[in-house]
Parts: sequence; structure tokens; C-alpha cells
Amino acid sequence: MIAAHLTKQFGAHIVVNDVSFTLEPHTATALIGPNGAGKTTILSMLTGLLKPTAGTITNNDVQIGFLPQYPQFYPWMTVLEFTEMAARLSGLSTKEARSRAHEALSFVGLEEVLTKKTAALSGGMKQRLGIAQAIVHRPAILLLDEPVSALDPFGRRDMMSLLKKLQQTTTILYSTHILNDAEEMTDQILFLKDGALIEQGTLPSIRARYMDPRFAVTFCEQADAQAFSTQHQVELIEKTVFVPMTSYPTMQHLLSFLSTTYAPIVKIEQHTSSLEEIFMKVMSL
Amino acid sequence: MIILLKKEWLEMLRSYRIVWLPLLFILLGISDPLTNYYMEDILATVGNMPDGFSMTMPELAPSDLLIASLGQFQMIGLLVIVAITASMISRERQNGTATLIYVRPVSNFSIYMSKLIAMALLTLVCTIAGFGASMYYTYLLYGGVSTTAFLLLMLFYWLWLLMVIATTITFSALWTTSIAMTVAIVLFPLGILLDSVIGAYWHYSPYKLALYGASWLTTQSDYLWGTCSIVVAWTIFVSLLGIWATGWKRSTTKI
Repeated sequence: MIAAHLTKQFGAHIVVNDVSFTLEPHTATALIGPNGAGKTTILSMLTGLLKPTAGTITNNDVQIGFLPQYPQFYPWMTVLEFTEMAARLSGLSTKEARSRAHEALSFVGLEEVLTKKTAALSGGMKQRLGIAQAIVHRPAILLLDEPVSALDPFGRRDMMSLLKKLQQTTTILYSTHILNDAEEMTDQILFLKDGALIEQGTLPSIRARYMDPRFAVTFCEQADAQAFSTQHQVELIEKTVFVPMTSYPTMQHLLSFLSTTYAPIVKIEQHTSSLEEIFMKVMSL
Repeated sequence: MIILLKKEWLEMLRSYRIVWLPLLFILLGISDPLTNYYMEDILATVGNMPDGFSMTMPELAPSDLLIASLGQFQMIGLLVIVAITASMISRERQNGTATLIYVRPVSNFSIYMSKLIAMALLTLVCTIAGFGASMYYTYLLYGGVSTTAFLLLMLFYWLWLLMVIATTITFSALWTTSIAMTVAIVLFPLGILLDSVIGAYWHYSPYKLALYGASWLTTQSDYLWGTCSIVVAWTIFVSLLGIWATGWKRSTTKI
């Protein structure tokens, strides 16, 4: 699936601005950005629900599965009935729909509640039913809007392991505002801010670009750290100063540099930015 | 479309709409023959009439009672039908249940027609139940009418209802539930009232189709076929408009 120069405008308000990306087969892509960045709008355009103001989407007519952030089901339908209907509407025969529905529901762990009304499902179960209806027709592309953000830690872990299993056979694009979710299952990350794509690439390449490797040197006394920080113009947090590895690429370089000071040092370690710090850095671009 | 129709049918079944709406029509249908027949007794029992009061009851023909029942259906029955129909497409968009349907290869035709056919069947059941109940008591208490005339009466009433539901579903496709409901209620239950007040100035009015249909019972109206053509043409036109509107408003479904 290729999205080229996607733009969506509601009145004078530009929600998505010239976004282009490619989803390679059997890869997982994370669409990351703060709330209101335009993630849902992009997914809606990919599903065909929204027409882009400008730009094109090429998907070679493959079937798509879609899980909205808050999937809504007919409350008077049972879990099995809904999944079967979804399969039938996607073009499967009655017989096929039945066996695929059973398959999809046991895949997501809902085989115990087949005849339960959807109104009686918990939030986590609704999310699983959402996955089941999205995969029941075995789509080539799976689009998921915030699949885990409404779930508790257990639900989140279950969902991530389900998605990891699906990743082996399906192309996945999912949106999230939490980078740690993306870390678990991602080949490509798209950073979205105010409707525009501000950074994209694989997780290692983005890490390499933003991890900003430094040595963290912790002094015994706060005053010494303070003095060192002002003298050498380096960042200071409490008793620790951060010396960029660009100036001292190896430990030996650092040690010879540090030997000029007599203040007692208690710890030296290599420090790389956490994903959260990377996220904040990318978003402040 | 069969799949969506099955879904509509299941919804009618599970919401018991298929039971209580015909029941309402039965209730409305039997009220006129019964209350008219027992009017003297009712007045004597609860009327609190002064001594010596006497009243001549009009001599009612069976057709008068069927037409009176028709009047009942046109007020309360129609109001309920319109209220149910006005939310059929818009509510699914507003609460987001439509989203999971719209992302699949489902045509606008199927979405609209599944609603129309489901409501057409439901209103057919209501028409038969309502007039059937009215006929039953009318027959027992007053006497019968010609079978053909009775069937035609129901057929033309149903044709009128078909136009009402097609128009209301189209409103539901075009607008939100509250707007669709308001416009449909003004147009139909209130429209009939207006037509009966000032409608003496014209003959060809869709509102009058049911009355002309009832004319089979007595003397056939000259305006029946003309009015019928208007109703059928309008029904086809609003259905096409509705199918188009269903597609046009797809993107307003809540995600």
C-alpha cells in the first residue's frame, strides 16, 4: 500500500498535510503522534471512509481489515453472529464465514463467549472482538487505530502478543501515542505532528539519529559537579554531568580528560536516550 | 443485501418491534368498531347523563368503521412508524456501528434497500394486523364488506406507508436523527392534518391516497389512479435520492 502526498482539509483547517509513506508486505508500521496529530484521519482515508482532499492511495484492491479506536457493535447481536456477518459482508460464503468466524474468535480467545450478546462484553473483550471482525476475512492489510491505549496492562500485553502473531501473515499499520508500544512490534515508525510527517524510519535508524550518546559522570559532591559543568559547558543533573561522546569517543579519551580534575568521582557510565526522550526530541523539531 | 436484510430482521426480532408494532395497530383497529357499538352502554354507565337524556346514535355502515380505523392508523400509528424509521441510518452513523459495515465492500444500494425492505415488511404486517382486527369486530358487530374492496383498501394503505417510510429513510440518510425525525413528523402526521383541513382545494394529493383507497368500499374515486401514480413516482424518486445520500454521508460515521 502506497500513500502519496495525502492531504485532508476540513474547511480552512488542514488536518493532514502532504503525508507520503509505503507499507511493505508483512511489515508492521507504527503511526506515532500526540492526540490531534491526524492519526485517525489518515487511517480513515486508508480505509476509504474519508476522501483525501489531495493525494492518492494505491492498494491494488486488496482487502483491508479495520479496527477503530472504540469499535461499536450492535448490542442485540451475539459475538458469533457479528463476526459471521462481518465475514459475509466481506464476500465470504455462508459456510466459509462460519468456519472463519470460529477460527478468528478462538484466535483472539473469545471461543467461550460465542453466544453472548456484544452488549455484555467487557472493554478488553470488545477490543478482541474488534480484532476478530478485522481479521475474519484474512485481509492483506490490517489498520488499527490505537489498539491498546484503552486497555489495562494485562489487556495490553495480550493484544501486543496477538498482533505479533498476526504480523507474520499480514501487513499492519497501527496508530499509538505511546512509543513503548511501538518498540515491541515495529519495522517502520512514522512520526506525525500537526498533520505533517516530521520523521520516519526503522526503530534502529531513528535510535541512532536521536540517541545522542553521552558519558554520565557522577561526582561525590554536588559542588564539584556544578563547577565541572560550568567550566566545560556540559549538561548537569544533580551530581551528574553529561559529556557528549562526540568529543570523547572512548573511555580512554574521557579518562584522560577527567584526570585533569581532582574532585572525587563515584560513577561513570554510558548513557543513551530512552524512547520517551527520543519521542520528545522528535516532537520538538 | 440479503446479509444486511437478515441483520435488520434479527434486530426487529430482538427488539420485539415485530410484536409490539402490529399489536399497536390491532389495538387501534379494534377500538373504533368496539367503542362505537357499545357507545350507548358506555354512556349509560360512565356518561353521568341527566335523567331523561336521550341521544340517537348514527346508523353506521361497516365501511364507516373501517374508515374510522384508518383515521386511527393515520395519527398514532403513523407517528410511531415515522419515529422508528427516522433513526434507521443516521443512528448507526452517530453511534459508530455503521463504521464496521462501511469499511467493507457494501453498496449504498444494499444499505438503503435493506432498511426499506425491512420496514416495508413490518408495515405490511401492521397493515394486515390493524385492518384485520378492525374487520373482525366490524364483521361481528356490523356486517361485512366485499373482500376485494377490503384487500384493495389494505393495498393502497400500504402503498401510502411505503412512500412514508421511503421518504423518512431518505431523511435519515441525509441528516441526523433529530432533524430527520422533526422533518418527517411535520411532513406526515401533521401534513395529513393540514391536508384534511385545507385539502378541499385540491384532489391529487399523496395524503389522500389512503382515503381514495377506501373509496373501493363505496363509490370509486376518480382521483385514485392519478394520486397513486404520484405516490409511486415519489417513492421511486426518494429511494434513488436516499441511495445517493447514503453514499454521500458515509464519511460522517463516527470512528
